[in-house]
Amino acid sequence: MVLEQDILPYFQWLWSGSADSLGALPRFLLVSLGVGLLGLLVGYSIAAARHGLLRGGDIVYRTISNGVREIFETSPRRVLALAGLAMKEAWRRRVVVALIVFFIILVFASWFLKKNHQDPAKLYISFVLTATTYLVLGIALLLSAFSLPHDFKTKTIYTIVTKPVRLGEIVLGRILGFTAVGTILLAIMGVCSYVFVNRSLDHTHTVEQSSLKNVSDADGAVIGKDGRTSLNSYHRHEVELDTDGQGVALNNYGHTHRVVKSGGKEVTLGADGIMNARVPQWGKLTFLDRQGVPKARGINVGSEWTYRSFVDGATQATAIWTFKNISPALNSEAQGGLPIGLIVRVFRTHKGIIGKPITGSIQVRNPETGLTSELIPFAAMDAKIDERAIPRKLTGTDNSELDLYKDLVSSNGELEIRVQCLERGQYFGFAQPDMYIRMRDASPIVNYFKVCLSIWVQMVIVISIGVAGSTLLSGPVAMLFTVSFIVLGFFRPFFVGVAQGTEYGGGPVESFYRLITQMNVISNLEDNLLTRLIQGVDWVYKTFMLSLAQVLPDFSSLSTVDFAAYGFNVPADLVWQDLTMCLAYVLGMSIVGYFLFRTREVAR
Amino acid sequence: MSDDIVIQTRALSKVYRDFWGRQKVRALKPLDMEIHRGEVFGLLGPNGSGKTTTIKLILGLLFPTEGEAIVFGKRSTDVSKNERIGYLPEESYLYRFLNAEETLDFYGRLFDMPAATRSERVDSLIKMVGLDKARKRQLQEYSKGMTRRIGLAQALINDPELILLDEPTSGLDPIGTREMKDMILRLKGEGKTVVMCSHLLADVQDVCDRIAILHQGELKELGRVDTLLTVADVTQIRARNLTPECQNEIREVISRNHGELMEMDNPSTTLEELFLSIVRDSEARPGRRANVEPVTSDT
Repeated sequence: MVLEQDILPYFQWLWSGSADSLGALPRFLLVSLGVGLLGLLVGYSIAAARHGLLRGGDIVYRTISNGVREIFETSPRRVLALAGLAMKEAWRRRVVVALIVFFIILVFASWFLKKNHQDPAKLYISFVLTATTYLVLGIALLLSAFSLPHDFKTKTIYTIVTKPVRLGEIVLGRILGFTAVGTILLAIMGVCSYVFVNRSLDHTHTVEQSSLKNVSDADGAVIGKDGRTSLNSYHRHEVELDTDGQGVALNNYGHTHRVVKSGGKEVTLGADGIMNARVPQWGKLTFLDRQGVPKARGINVGSEWTYRSFVDGATQATAIWTFKNISPALNSEAQGGLPIGLIVRVFRTHKGIIGKPITGSIQVRNPETGLTSELIPFAAMDAKIDERAIPRKLTGTDNSELDLYKDLVSSNGELEIRVQCLERGQYFGFAQPDMYIRMRDASPIVNYFKVCLSIWVQMVIVISIGVAGSTLLSGPVAMLFTVSFIVLGFFRPFFVGVAQGTEYGGGPVESFYRLITQMNVISNLEDNLLTRLIQGVDWVYKTFMLSLAQVLPDFSSLSTVDFAAYGFNVPADLVWQDLTMCLAYVLGMSIVGYFLFRTREVAR
Repeated sequence: MSDDIVIQTRALSKVYRDFWGRQKVRALKPLDMEIHRGEVFGLLGPNGSGKTTTIKLILGLLFPTEGEAIVFGKRSTDVSKNERIGYLPEESYLYRFLNAEETLDFYGRLFDMPAATRSERVDSLIKMVGLDKARKRQLQEYSKGMTRRIGLAQALINDPELILLDEPTSGLDPIGTREMKDMILRLKGEGKTVVMCSHLLADVQDVCDRIAILHQGELKELGRVDTLLTVADVTQIRARNLTPECQNEIREVISRNHGELMEMDNPSTTLEELFLSIVRDSEARPGRRANVEPVTSDT
């Protein structure tokens, strides 16, 4: 799973932020101030141009003072009445069609989703949750963008605004009403998709009797059997049984089974771990280069995506994760060892032996004393989650016996885990989240709910933007406005990159110039008047884009579908951050919607 | 502003502009008028004269280009004035997917009315406008007359002090028209102020105390209906049971005093009165052809 940005603790995120960004609250206040001042300037300019300097000022003053007063006059009963009306209206507009489309998708999904995928749960969960996201966002878009313009068109708004209804109540009522409708739809879709994934992927095997072989201990006494299961759902498992014929079918295709004896033969029960909610504790990643010199990053193997950096094989190059607060209490289910997960991106400069994984090593080191365990070799499967437990008893580099917690964890609870590639000419790529200590798993159902909550947050943000836009714009234009927010929101990092000049190809005008002149994105433009003109116009564009980016919701980071698909728990900090962001958008967009509404005449 | 004045307009004007701010039409030229508490005030004028624009400006649905409208001492854009106002638009712009009960309940909520008060008020209004049997039907199934009646009911949901009626009799049959006019007079009797705009002169004449006549956005006349309609140099005598001899004698008296007899004959009733008497007869004797007696002054 890719996590391009650290998930900060909630209050740090809210107040102080990270090293390169402000806290969310100060940023919200700054952006609000900026938007407010801009709105004031534009509003006064228009009012002054139409009514003169003094009357324009009076109009702006009255608009603001009325707005502030009306906030305190907001009536929950009126808001709820308007929300109820919005719900009835949505129902009348046949939002249930979205559910029908969703069920059709589920019915036919099995035709296209292959169960012979190496991780079918990831495929299924990713598909159903992505489909749910797009459907819910689509419905949110249509409802929010067309509702108020429809009221203006049919003039039903006349009978609303001639009652003591504050305009903010109309905006808020619409947002709440459509949110309620969307919530019902999302709840139904969430439950159905959860059942769909579990029912589709659940299966059993039988143990192939011919494959069973006795396993003996050092004294030659039979202590159990090894073998394999039948081939079902495109895969089989290795099994380990005790003498009573009970045991486990080992992890394959992302799940395990319990094996029991039934009707005189060993059969597996339903699949365990189709949906996981691993709780990772991430560490801090640093590197050693091939000479063993500490570096913040590994080397670049030519990938434009700089999320991972690489260590080269058979050198001193090492990826080092430092974990804090290590103790045996971290995972009581791990029976003394330290359960870790490791994801390796393998970059080969030669094929090696086809089908044979690249060998790497893991070492555990005490950052305080320097005590280090011997190399623990492993076979790196590209981009797969390799989960293992570091045993409690380890051998040191001087052949001494080491205890994981007593000898390799520093006095302040820190532990280093070092990973190297052992084959010359091959590379391992890592990002910070690629190694984690696996804590006790969270509930997969609760995790699924949290993912649905992140979809809900996106839906509410779209509704807020749609309703705010529709207070001033006609239905189709409001829809385009909202779609622009969604599209730019999904590609916000790229958008910001273009605005900051960190993307290749320059700004919009320079990119267009390169397109029509068939020039690549790397070459510098000639130093002439045209280039200076292009870059001057681009500067204006980029400034505007950077300003716009401050209010763009980052939908790519709001989505937590990958967490469920890859079997990771959605951190509570992230859930609270998303909910806070949602609240900020509802608040901000309600205020923007209110003032946009006030600037327009209800009648024509 | 005196407590007696409910609405006051000061040089209120409206210019409609296009997207680029260019003037399209001057819908209302500076208008100064006052509407007093408890009166029925009519805004008269042909189509496009500025009646509806004036109502919309008073309600705050439009922003004045110049001047201002003051309602209950507050600017027209102050939404709190709406607590005391009821408005029936030109057409009943209601949510057609709601039924009568839901519609009135919804508008009641907008006035922040408690549930018990709302329920009572909804029930009494539905009965008052004669929609008791259709209270559960969606408005999209209503006839135009029924829609106007539910529209009136929503305008009265808050028991308003000021009622603004835009073409209140538009789309109503003669019975509905009469009921609407009776309703206006009843509201006046309750001490409420009614402002209506219409181009149906007879309706205005029947119910209004004062009128303003607008033409091409300009106020042409403003005053009491009885004063405006009184013809000062003509005397009207209405008498009953006069013999032809007596009528001749009156003619002679007028002639002797140098007066000019303009007309002396039996007056005719209005078509509205005739229609209503036929309907009443039909309801009293269903299935039979109407048998309306010759009209007398007792009728």
